[in-house]
Amino acid sequence: MLLYIIRRLISVALTFFVVSVIIFLMMHSIPGGPFDGNDMPVSEAVRAKLMARLGLDQPLHVQYLNYMWGVLHFDFGVPYQSPGESVIQLLSRAWVPSLVLGGLGVILGAPLGILLGMAAALNRNSIIDYFASTFATLGLTIPVFVISMLLILVFAVWLDWLPASGWGSPDRWILPIAAYAAIPIATYARYTRSAMLDCLNRPFVTVLRAKGLSENRIIFQHVLRNAAIPMVTVFLPMFIGTATGSIFVETMFRVPGLGAYFVSSIEARDYPLEMALVLMVTLMFCLAYFLADIAYAWLNPRIRVGGDH
Amino acid sequence: MTVPALELRNVSKDYLIKAGGGLIPSYRRHAAVAGVSLTIARNSIVGLVGESGSGKTTTGMMALRLVKPTSGRILVNGVDISQLDHKGLKPVRRQMQVVFQDSYSALDPMMTLAQIVAEPLDIHGVGSPREQTDEALSWLERVGLDRSYGGRYPHELSGGQRQRVAIARALILKPTVLIADEPTSALDVSVKAQIINLLQDLQEEMDLSILFISHDLSVVRSLTDRVVVMYRGQVVEEAETEAIFSDARHPYTRALLDAIPAANPRDRRVRRFLSVEEIEAATPRLARSELPEAAEPSQTPQLVSIGPGHRVAAIVTP
Repeated sequence: MLLYIIRRLISVALTFFVVSVIIFLMMHSIPGGPFDGNDMPVSEAVRAKLMARLGLDQPLHVQYLNYMWGVLHFDFGVPYQSPGESVIQLLSRAWVPSLVLGGLGVILGAPLGILLGMAAALNRNSIIDYFASTFATLGLTIPVFVISMLLILVFAVWLDWLPASGWGSPDRWILPIAAYAAIPIATYARYTRSAMLDCLNRPFVTVLRAKGLSENRIIFQHVLRNAAIPMVTVFLPMFIGTATGSIFVETMFRVPGLGAYFVSSIEARDYPLEMALVLMVTLMFCLAYFLADIAYAWLNPRIRVGGDH
Repeated sequence: MTVPALELRNVSKDYLIKAGGGLIPSYRRHAAVAGVSLTIARNSIVGLVGESGSGKTTTGMMALRLVKPTSGRILVNGVDISQLDHKGLKPVRRQMQVVFQDSYSALDPMMTLAQIVAEPLDIHGVGSPREQTDEALSWLERVGLDRSYGGRYPHELSGGQRQRVAIARALILKPTVLIADEPTSALDVSVKAQIINLLQDLQEEMDLSILFISHDLSVVRSLTDRVVVMYRGQVVEEAETEAIFSDARHPYTRALLDAIPAANPRDRRVRRFLSVEEIEAATPRLARSELPEAAEPSQTPQLVSIGPGHRVAAIVTP
């Protein structure tokens, strides 16, 4: 187990390195630079001076090594868009809306999805089941920006119940949270339904019925416990996945979070911020899957204890 | 006359099968089990044999009341359980237990063997948790596993060991009736023999009555006192085990017997599977006057007594 953990950590480090190289090259291969915008034109001499000060006149590999050297010392540089603070300061500020909205979306969405999946599994082939399956399929297939637009259209424009965008008062949170929750609800509904059906059909459940255990206790003590393994392990990666979802959701709802900075940093060629965002998401994804695998092994006696199955 | 441990009286189970699609689906009834009667005397082992789909598993599930019969009565130690609800069934459940063919999926993979075997005690509130675990461990010993197995998980055992665990779990509440649904079909020959011996020993020690559902006639011959043969949802023949093997009267029973592999290659017969029509055509026709007990003449087969404890489905001619 310890060996396994060490191997996985090495692979996390490798992934981190490969992603950093690819992103760095891709980022610089986008035409244009941070001072090429038309809204605030600068003269050629000023531009050259700025580029030299930021080290952007040096060869790419030198720039990369300089940047990564800083990263190893937790120095991610200064964002070009907001030179008054460090990248870390900006990120720690931008995290809050993303964490609140995305986090609430997953935390509220996961139990709803589990309930929906349970209702579907326990009423197989009923109206409830068809509704849940349709809902889950739609939730997974409709892109989150379309869901966001539909939410805005229905609840903000037509019904005029909720504000369409912004950050601040909690009533503005409701629609983005609903947009974030679509994927956890759909994923959990599907996982729960199939895991429970798989379990309910196994003979050990029949034995439990024959022993006189009540249906409720069968479901909560045995079926859900067996079904829980994939549900627990999928949670963390899904949570981190909201960071990618935030690119769309925060743009749609004009929330000043990570996703919004993702978009603006690419538009403004804000290299330090862009790198920091990508590296952070990469690292979090790697760690989330790493922890998910450990949780899976720890929860499942077949892997935890070993054996021939 | 003593009360039998388990008695099924004219039990049937119909399933609705979707026959037509469209907006308004139509259904037709399919009788999985049609009018089956069988009796298991105390301390006896009855084999229920038949091909897949003959309704033998459904019959077993109805005896356990895991499937509600469409009609008919089920009596356990003389008590009619066919109409009881979940609450009313709970005390009856202590009397009846089940062992399945697939020992792996019959055990909850998340629980240790001690927890699995102790769970019936917990469900029925017998003893303190400590006593339950103690009892479970001694049952593991009784079925031939070491006490140290209590902390293990099902996936660490072989198929035969898992079947022992399933038997321990079934018998820990000291039931009077055990339904064994093909408990040896997934095991290889030597392990099969061990499990059969274990069941035989426990049956004698505990005064158990066993309904042994199987398609393996050689196992049935070595274990059971009586055999009931089912074909397409109905009983076609029943008799003392030896009478079935020496004097089978129904064509389907004979076809089953022919299918037993012979050890000596010189004795091997050409095996042939009879079609439904062939079996129908070969159904015995017995004259009313030949029968030891009175029976009404009929066009369709009915179970008639043809000897002591031997009944066969036959057409009675006047």
